[in-house]
Amino acid sequence: MNFNRDRVRSIGWMFVLMVCLGLTLVLMVRVNAMKSQVRLAERQLVALKREKVFLETEFETRSNQQQLRALNDVEFGYSAPTAGQYLSGERQLASLGKAAAPDAPAPIRVASAMADNSGPFPAMVSPLSGKAMAAEPDGKPSNRKPVDTASLSRRLSRIPAQEVIRE
Amino acid sequence: MNAVSVTATIAPGRRQLVNVRRELLLTAKMRVVWLLVLFAVIAATALFRIALLGVLQPASSSQSMHDALLPPRGDIVDRNGIPLARAFPAYSLWFNPKAMGDGGSPLVRSPAEVAAALVHIFPDEDLAKLTARLASGEAGYLKRRILPEEANRVHALGEPALESPFENERLYPQGSMAAHVLGFVAADGHGRVGMEQVFDKQLTDPVARAVPSVLSLDTRVQGALEEELYRGMRDSQAKGAAGIVLDVDTGEVLALASLPGFDPNLINNAGAANIFNRMSNQVYELGSVMKPITVAAAIDGGVVTNLAQRYPAGAPLKIGGFEIHDDENFGPSLNVPEALVHSSNIVLAQVGDRLGGHALRQTMTSLGFNERPYIELPARGMPLWPRSQDGGEWSRITTMTVSFGHGIAISPLHLACAYAALVNGGVWRPATLLKVDPGHIPAGRRVFRAATSARMRQLLRMIVADGTGRKANAAGFRVGGKTGSAEKPGAHGYQKRSLITTFAAAFPMDHPRYVVLVTLDEPQGTTATSGQRTAAWNAAPVVGRVIPRIGPTLGIMPDETRDIDISDISPLVGNGNGG
Repeated sequence: MNFNRDRVRSIGWMFVLMVCLGLTLVLMVRVNAMKSQVRLAERQLVALKREKVFLETEFETRSNQQQLRALNDVEFGYSAPTAGQYLSGERQLASLGKAAAPDAPAPIRVASAMADNSGPFPAMVSPLSGKAMAAEPDGKPSNRKPVDTASLSRRLSRIPAQEVIRE
Repeated sequence: MNAVSVTATIAPGRRQLVNVRRELLLTAKMRVVWLLVLFAVIAATALFRIALLGVLQPASSSQSMHDALLPPRGDIVDRNGIPLARAFPAYSLWFNPKAMGDGGSPLVRSPAEVAAALVHIFPDEDLAKLTARLASGEAGYLKRRILPEEANRVHALGEPALESPFENERLYPQGSMAAHVLGFVAADGHGRVGMEQVFDKQLTDPVARAVPSVLSLDTRVQGALEEELYRGMRDSQAKGAAGIVLDVDTGEVLALASLPGFDPNLINNAGAANIFNRMSNQVYELGSVMKPITVAAAIDGGVVTNLAQRYPAGAPLKIGGFEIHDDENFGPSLNVPEALVHSSNIVLAQVGDRLGGHALRQTMTSLGFNERPYIELPARGMPLWPRSQDGGEWSRITTMTVSFGHGIAISPLHLACAYAALVNGGVWRPATLLKVDPGHIPAGRRVFRAATSARMRQLLRMIVADGTGRKANAAGFRVGGKTGSAEKPGAHGYQKRSLITTFAAAFPMDHPRYVVLVTLDEPQGTTATSGQRTAAWNAAPVVGRVIPRIGPTLGIMPDETRDIDISDISPLVGNGNGG
């Protein structure tokens, strides 16, 4: 075996060429693998988009105006708000908090039942046997204080710890 | 040498055996070699294929993502993007008796059993009909549009004759809503009746159909209008009804309804009878709703310069053998605001007479009353335009009858556009069902002066505040409008009991934004309408209920502290005795 300088050089070039070819081959394979992945993702996208359109159409059909109207007629009975339910602007909103004028009519007070003063609740009775299904609450008056402005503000300012964290 | 001598001693028979064995071994080796070559070729081919797949592009996918998502027919959406018509891939249930291919019974089980199983999946199907259908052995659809899970359950029945082909259907998610505007797609794949027909080219165009076609309609407004219209029609037991909500500044139609309607999802004989559009295709003599147009033309033409001027109204007006009556006697004389509030034919005939046929005709021509209405819909009715005399002008009696809305038949759509011009400052614009870009509002043509339009707004508001339109006076919405109850012409003249009642309104009158027009065909006097059959009792309440529902949706909040100033004309309306 006679390795002269030229021969070694050409073998070296061949080797470099082979390495380059190999690397190119690897790169091409990787590129095509990536392309296939993209194509697969595209196909999934198309399928998902089609499903989305399908679901959206189903939702639109089930919640169409006529269905909503029928639901409102049966369940809620909402009607369009009247002029009195609208505020014309910030000024009118602010006026709601103003103190009543000296000659203004007294505001209507709404009576409320005081649950604390009422007697014990009747216990739940089984409709079949007629027997009490739970113990009757005791008739003792609770030790809850009646709500006044000070106690209410105290209660409202007492924010539970977990709520603070959540917000 | 020894070997040769040994070989030589071997008997000839034995030598022969050795030869056979050698040949056999050779053959076996050759076979192994061939097998190896075969395996090598296969392996090489597989390697080559793997290399090919890895190095070269995998087979290019037949369509891009855009193509895959391109609907076979474009969507139609409302102005807020709510789909009104959509291409919808759906399964249908097809009965193919030849699926078995053996010429025997098309079904594995008996038709009755299969029908019972199908009824279990589709509970609304009729068992007897389905059994007969399967037993007949005729190919055809058993059911259109079935859900994928239903198709799966049918497949699970294991009947090859029950096929569920995948078809592209046209679905209208809102059902019968806006059916006359949308139309439907016929079996040939082309649109019919409404915008499906108008948009047919762009909905099927491969480039244009990717983008949905946007209509000017607002689904919420359309729903409210249809519901209230239906209620008004039911309350008054009318034959039909039509309604429109029109933007006065752009001509966009926000809602257009014609009842009874049809369901474009299911076109059958019952639905086909209702395809006729009463709003754009039917022309009526609309009666008193035309009076504000005459008054506006008279104010514009300088004929009515003083609204306090009184016209005799105590007795029927006799013109060339005809008599013009009022429904009741409102007093010996009336001024123009009173004539509008009480809807006096006698006074309006006099105003029209003073204005003259030429000017009235010109106003009506500029409002487009002599041609089909301007809208994209294919169904547009030709008005019945009064015949001219030799000089091309109307006769005196024609002018007088037209001035209070008789002798001319137009569609309610014509009238809605005219009312828009009446209140928007005097500019007429064609109605359109396409959403108008704020920068591309059509210029329109001026029909009335702005001052005349301002005066008309006051007069229309007064009719609703104090006149026949009180039932449309939705609190806080500043509604203005005019009632019209016209008798329908029959074989023997006008029929006293067959009316066309119309209420044309606009709101809010201090800055009009929308025209709401409602027409009822042959309403009856019922308990719900207090036994009355005129527009004040059936059409006006519909408008009065529609406006509070659509106003806030369209950005018009009710405000009882605001109104158009009518203080300068309200003293003119007295008690009808000239007071």
